[in-house]
Amino acid sequence: MKKIALLITLAVGALLILAAEDFPRWGDAHAPANDYLSPYYIEKSLEETAVPNIVTAVLADYRGYDTMFETTVIFCAGITVLTLLRRTQRKAPKAVRPRPARQGADVILQSASRLLVPVMQIFALYVLALGHHSPGGGFQAGVILGASFILLALSYDLKTMLARLSENTLLRLSALGVIIYAGIGALCLLLGDNFLAYAALKVFGFSEVMAHSHGILGVELGVAVTVMAIMFSLYVDLASGGDLDEGL
Amino acid sequence: MTAAQFPILILIIPLLAAFAISLFGGRRDKLAYGLLLAAMSGSFYAALQTLLLVLETNIPIHYRLGGWAPPYGIELVIDHLNAMVLCLVSGCALLTAIYSLPTVRAEIPDRIHHYYTLYCLLVTGLAGMVATGDAFNLYVLLEISALSSYAMLARGRGNAYYATFKYIIMGTIGACFYLLGVGYLYIKTGTLNMADLFRLLAEEEMQQSITIRIGFILIMIGIWIKMAFFPLHGWLPNAYTRASTTTSCLIAPLMTKVSVYIMLRLMFSVFSVEFVYGVIPWHEQIVWLASLAIVAGSISALAQRNLKKMLTYIIVAEVGYMVGGAWLANESGLAGTVYHILSDALMTLALFMAVGAIIHKTGKSSFAAMEGIFRKMPVTSAVFVLGGFAIIGIPPTCGFFSKWYLIRGGIETGQWLFVGALLFSSLINAIIFFRLIERAYFGDLSGHGHGPLPERDEAPAVMLVPMVVTAAALVIIGLYTSEIIGRIVLWTIPAGL
Repeated sequence: MKKIALLITLAVGALLILAAEDFPRWGDAHAPANDYLSPYYIEKSLEETAVPNIVTAVLADYRGYDTMFETTVIFCAGITVLTLLRRTQRKAPKAVRPRPARQGADVILQSASRLLVPVMQIFALYVLALGHHSPGGGFQAGVILGASFILLALSYDLKTMLARLSENTLLRLSALGVIIYAGIGALCLLLGDNFLAYAALKVFGFSEVMAHSHGILGVELGVAVTVMAIMFSLYVDLASGGDLDEGL
Repeated sequence: MTAAQFPILILIIPLLAAFAISLFGGRRDKLAYGLLLAAMSGSFYAALQTLLLVLETNIPIHYRLGGWAPPYGIELVIDHLNAMVLCLVSGCALLTAIYSLPTVRAEIPDRIHHYYTLYCLLVTGLAGMVATGDAFNLYVLLEISALSSYAMLARGRGNAYYATFKYIIMGTIGACFYLLGVGYLYIKTGTLNMADLFRLLAEEEMQQSITIRIGFILIMIGIWIKMAFFPLHGWLPNAYTRASTTTSCLIAPLMTKVSVYIMLRLMFSVFSVEFVYGVIPWHEQIVWLASLAIVAGSISALAQRNLKKMLTYIIVAEVGYMVGGAWLANESGLAGTVYHILSDALMTLALFMAVGAIIHKTGKSSFAAMEGIFRKMPVTSAVFVLGGFAIIGIPPTCGFFSKWYLIRGGIETGQWLFVGALLFSSLINAIIFFRLIERAYFGDLSGHGHGPLPERDEAPAVMLVPMVVTAAALVIIGLYTSEIIGRIVLWTIPAGL
């Protein structure tokens, strides 16, 4: 079996090397990937969407349909982990051993995280809002927000954290994020344009270009909410083996 | 909103329903079930309207997402082929949804609403893959359908986790191969839109490029892993056998058929007839491999003693039918493949529903469950027999006609091995099903008829109705074969074949 696997690996490797022979030259400005669609995005995106960051414009507008489903993938992953791991009345508790109860409070850890977390969360909002102008956006903001909750859960404990942000709230938030995204799309549909055609949002009194810009901000917000909630929900389930008791 | 919006509604309705079920379905099972039924009905209605629109005008529908013109934005392209497959996907999903409640309550009692959320996401993924006209968007939806199917399959019986883990590994490798292939196409052409790729790949320089050829090979291998084409089928039988009843009713008919659709779509809408059969001159060898798949699948099915596992090996053989037909490189073979997507999905659905009802009622999944089933569950066994007849290929069920076209395609090209494999598989299927029917009819007479007759114990009506509808569809589609071939299937044959 091992030999067969080695042979397959070698064959696939050879195929990949062979395929590279015909690639455009590295960094070639006239390679099809640089020369065909990219000039349009570079020249038109600011004019059409009022978003200086071309990556954001492509991700959340020109190919916003893909990104909606990428967000759905994250939602789906959260539900999958929950479906497989979460303990219910009928399932026996997992064998993950809870960590020993803390003796007293970890003053240094808790004080440090109390100082850090607000800064992290404000920075996350900044990253979200900055997605229009420089690297940033919904996914990154969501990850930073999620990380701030994980830091709190690590430096206090899971119970304290879940008392503030319960599992049900997490699930609602994760669905809410994708609903914001798909809802903006559906709103455009109801306003008589195509799905996700942000131009339809101009009925709220924006110019067409600004409607695109605000539409992008709206879907980025949805992405951030879902990513944040699923990040923390994954941590909660994985760390405790699905028992939502103390783990790690 | 106008009629032009129907294509997107096919997949947006189940998507929004998934979120709604995850939010509100937890309160009551019935609410989750009701939302599921409403979403699947809406999706099916939109799919039917789309099909009617295509049949009326006979030109493909282009739907621009976000209003952006392709190739800068993403578009849905609905022609005869995928309008039919979309109806099939949403129709099967609706029937399975109606059927689901009793078995889901029995097998997946915890958090039914999460299960139904995954159900909706899977349908969204499948419908999205079929509707899209963008090679990368197809990959994103492939991820959704794969991820939700892993979760659904893992909530099965026995060591479903382990069987699903193997599927995750294989499925991920398949998806990677597909993505790598699409990456190669992008590096050479700079576009992801299928129609645009088709235009650019028609150039002589592209046809000769080794990168494009290897991209094509990688894409095909990736899809073959996904559809469980022999010898890449190892993950399928265990994963589908261990799955819960509703999961297997949803996934078994649709997953492999949608993969076959994707294979056809990429062969003829991204690459071209000349490229697929001319530049890569391997189609004869692939037909041989398909013949081998049919023989191996049929023999393995014959060896099984578990009803569901037997059906899963029949799926492996049926995938061989469709891949073989597509690579025969003639019109009859391709028509047979397209028609077989429709008929095979329905007969697999009928059989899995009937077997699911039998397992639900008897609690057994071995052949012993079949004993005296005609008396206990007359309607279910009638559906089972009809499904079996369709698999064997007895007229007037649709199974006969698709096999007819496939065999004709084989004869026209002189692929006698393929023709032989098809006939061999029909023979084996006849043995398999008549053996079971015999047991079902006479099995309770082992005590020479003196023992007490088993009492009638039929499945509940919510399970019977979709079963009977599916079985009726097998015959109705068989009777309307010439219309379906003329109005839909022949339109899907690419120019130049």
